[in-house]
Amino acid sequence: MADRKTDRENQAFLYSAQKPSPARIAQFTAFLNKKYQKEYTLVWVEDHSMPGGFCLKAGSDVYNWTAENRLSQLQESWDTIAAQNSGNVIPLLRDSLKTWTPEAIAEELGTVRTVGDGIATVTGLDSAAYGEILLFDGGVRGMVQELRRDYLGCILFGDDAEIEEGSTVRRTGKTAGVPVGNAFVGRVINALGAPIDGAGPIKADGYLPVENPAPGIIDRQPVNKPMETGLLAIDSMFPIGRGQRELIIGDRQTGKTAIALDTILNQKGKDVICIYVAIGQKASSVAQLVENLRRRGAMDYTIVVCATASDATPMQYIAPYAGTSIGEYFMHQGKDVLIVYDDLSKHAIAYRELSLLLERSPGREAYPGDVFYLHSRLLERSAHLSDACGGGSMTALPIVETQGGDISAYIPTNIISITDGQLFLESDLFFSGQRPAVNVGLSVSRVGGDAQTKAMKKAAGTLRLELAQYREMEVFTQFASDLDEATQAQLTYGQGLMQMLRQKQYHPKSQFEQVVTLVAALGHVMQEVPRAEIGSFIDGMTAHVASEKSFVRQEIARTGDLSAESRSAILAAAKDYLKQWKASRAPQPKAAQ
Amino acid sequence: MTTGKIVEISGPVVDVQFENGQIPKIREALTVSVEGKQRVMEVVEHIGGDTVRCVMLAESEHLVRGMEVTADGKGITVPVGTCTLGRMFNVLGEPIDGGAPIPDTEKRWEIHRKAPSFEDQRPAVEILETGIKVIDLLVPYPKGGKIGLFGGAGVGKTVLIQELIHNVAMEHGGYSIFTGVGERSREGNDLWTEMRESGVADKTALVFGQMNESPGVRMRVALSGLTMAEYFRDEEHKDVLLFIDNIFRFVQAGSEVSTLLGRMPSAVGYQPTLASEMGSLQERITSTRSGSVTSVQAVYVPADDLTDPAPATTFSHLDAMTVLSRKIAEQGIYPAVDPLASSSRILEADIVGEEHYEVARKVQEILQKYNELQDIIAILGMDELSDEDKLTVTRARKIQRFLSQPMHVAEKFTGMPGIYVPLAETVRGFKAIVDGLMDEYPEAAFYNVGTIDDVVKRAAQMKAEESAKEKA
Repeated sequence: MADRKTDRENQAFLYSAQKPSPARIAQFTAFLNKKYQKEYTLVWVEDHSMPGGFCLKAGSDVYNWTAENRLSQLQESWDTIAAQNSGNVIPLLRDSLKTWTPEAIAEELGTVRTVGDGIATVTGLDSAAYGEILLFDGGVRGMVQELRRDYLGCILFGDDAEIEEGSTVRRTGKTAGVPVGNAFVGRVINALGAPIDGAGPIKADGYLPVENPAPGIIDRQPVNKPMETGLLAIDSMFPIGRGQRELIIGDRQTGKTAIALDTILNQKGKDVICIYVAIGQKASSVAQLVENLRRRGAMDYTIVVCATASDATPMQYIAPYAGTSIGEYFMHQGKDVLIVYDDLSKHAIAYRELSLLLERSPGREAYPGDVFYLHSRLLERSAHLSDACGGGSMTALPIVETQGGDISAYIPTNIISITDGQLFLESDLFFSGQRPAVNVGLSVSRVGGDAQTKAMKKAAGTLRLELAQYREMEVFTQFASDLDEATQAQLTYGQGLMQMLRQKQYHPKSQFEQVVTLVAALGHVMQEVPRAEIGSFIDGMTAHVASEKSFVRQEIARTGDLSAESRSAILAAAKDYLKQWKASRAPQPKAAQ
Repeated sequence: MTTGKIVEISGPVVDVQFENGQIPKIREALTVSVEGKQRVMEVVEHIGGDTVRCVMLAESEHLVRGMEVTADGKGITVPVGTCTLGRMFNVLGEPIDGGAPIPDTEKRWEIHRKAPSFEDQRPAVEILETGIKVIDLLVPYPKGGKIGLFGGAGVGKTVLIQELIHNVAMEHGGYSIFTGVGERSREGNDLWTEMRESGVADKTALVFGQMNESPGVRMRVALSGLTMAEYFRDEEHKDVLLFIDNIFRFVQAGSEVSTLLGRMPSAVGYQPTLASEMGSLQERITSTRSGSVTSVQAVYVPADDLTDPAPATTFSHLDAMTVLSRKIAEQGIYPAVDPLASSSRILEADIVGEEHYEVARKVQEILQKYNELQDIIAILGMDELSDEDKLTVTRARKIQRFLSQPMHVAEKFTGMPGIYVPLAETVRGFKAIVDGLMDEYPEAAFYNVGTIDDVVKRAAQMKAEESAKEKA
């Protein structure tokens, strides 16, 4: 047995149409013996599939000298030229054609051993690296996840039905990565960077691995610039800074994506690149979202990375990493990036599926032990880089779906312990019309306070505290039948504040509008306005302040600060508007009677 | 020096085959060169056939079967001694602060060491003042003892540990070691900046293996920091402060590699060796006759579940336990210490003194009573309580508020400057409340203040404001 095995190991195969001359055979044998330091016996196999060429196979290495292969070598060399140079490439091509000589390059080939459930094992390919991308016959790609003594395991980025036992596998020499470049802005791509919006190929400026180490401790600087969401409830009480990771968490249908979407829309004209990563969602919802972004002009600065529910699980698994790599490309140029992961609960589920199929044992809620590391290494890549590293930033808004409002579950607490704060959305609030449905007690932003502008900080001042007092009083008085006047006034005031925080989707508010609203509301100007009309009152009032006291707007835009004069100017103008508003309403009831 | 070849790779776990029976020992460090850079792995098991199973202390990407691995017969070592002060290191003892490399002439110790023997143990009997009221009164920390801060995600463990660094490390004359295990890199940056600004950096060494690093790193970085502390204790006979944020991540990293090492999973998917891994680490963190190590360890409570095997295993190793609770954090009381779930081994009259002991127990009694009364209040309302119970309730609410305190490191969120309250003041303050001397003051005056004198001042101020309002 052992002898026969050695025999086979020392055999090399030559495939060609014509039988080679003995001299030719001697040449090949000498080449192989020199190359591999091993005595090979050459066996000729008649093969008519390659006229005018031959194919030499020794061990897992294959030397392909067919016309087809030589042509593809030429094509590759031209592709590299075209990719590296923009503009006029014809002279370059002419030069390269002159100097081009085909080479017989050893190529390793592997054979599929087993395949199924999106996972394949392959024999051969001895020098494949961990994390390398393999190319299967038929074009499906896979990523090496396991290297065993005599086979390797990989996850497939395509349909496993296209692969069968015994088919060949090639190495690519690349680790899983995505093409990156400025041309990606405005496009919809899949997790491997290929366009899926039907708008033609995208010119890449480079290729980055999907797994990159996060910036080190001294490559960072504290979060200190605001990333405005345009949502009053968030910018005033849970401000988000550039480079922060703020979790959006809540049950389904509580407006999580809406907050992320509004934040993207609010970045218009602010020189921020936005990346929206859709993981495991319905393709139709993503299409609708892209359409929404396009209609509102937000696709001009947005990239959508999409791995839908029907994509292979490994695609869903790498999608957020791929999106982050694209973000890093811009961050390292010193730009500000906003990335939304929608959503990481589906990502965890995709990873759980892969892990269990790779026979790694399950832990809490059947998630594998490294599900924390799955998300920690992803979210740590969002940072505010130090000035020495270019000062760019990547702000992450991961989304997590809870079940029955339980934020103490495994994946939610894992991610809360990674992020710098969370916005907790509640369905009770949502259905009672309080939208965005942010729970003020359980939401927090750990670093954003430093990033808030002085104007906002001064205007928002005691808002959180007053809302907390209102909530306590609301609980306290819910069974009370007769309330004294002071308590009643306090309750009306609190209800007014809650009403003020309601904001329609796609209606971001500028910093000026937010500051005016807050100053007026906390100055008890709206106390007498009925709850239902507070929204329209605020719109009218901000317009009034803007036209009457335009210097306030300029001052806030210029200094980011709110002086005492501006504050009293806002209050005066707001009270002035209140008078007008009351006057305009006064005759109406009479007319009705 | 022997060399072997990589034969299998499965995530962070790598098998290496050696020839001629020259196999490296368990816990030896092996190196492999990938694209010109050295990566380190540590031997965990001999699996037969001249093959060892290792855990990578770096990522596994680009590793190839057949790569050459070298073993030089040593484990992972870190520099020790005064050269570590003012510096920031990774798990391998390499500086990551952008400064000069540590010279080869400096002493290095292996990170795997034996725990001190029974006869070397020194029991903790002295109280360590922290300046934080709730801790000093109800969970006094022992000097040279082991202190745990338990809490779920986002209840303020890191803020509290940073406040302790601020209050204790800055007052304390000795050296401090801070070890970041699997936490946020941003926090590492904040801490590094703050330490340099406050001037304690030259008495402190920092070691980080944060959450973006591979499980092998997070499994070993606690040992790297601990080894530096042990050197100061054993060789320089110093009193050392050791901060570990967060010890749970050490267990978690162990569970990430456990199944890949071929072990059966235990309860909730943790490694079967959970208790022994924790034990061999924790037994090293102790005070001996030659010097003391006072350790403060943050312990993350996954899914807010204190019965999870990881925190449950940690409990028995500690002298004082501070439990942070989400319910208290929601009420806006920070630090969100649960006064009834937290405990300390040295809260005894012999150690803290008769008066302190009495006041602390009385405070717990009142809070316990209030807890029991809460159900009745919820159903029947305050008016149905007896006068005595009403008094208990009002005092308990004042105690709850008086347990809160503005913290130095939280000043940027709260806008309130931090306050350090000496232990004697803390005891005096709570004594005044339980003795009924403060019954006339309004509840709100007790919230977020320092000493009891501040309460009196605040109450006077509130009164003045009210009368001003009435006049207007």
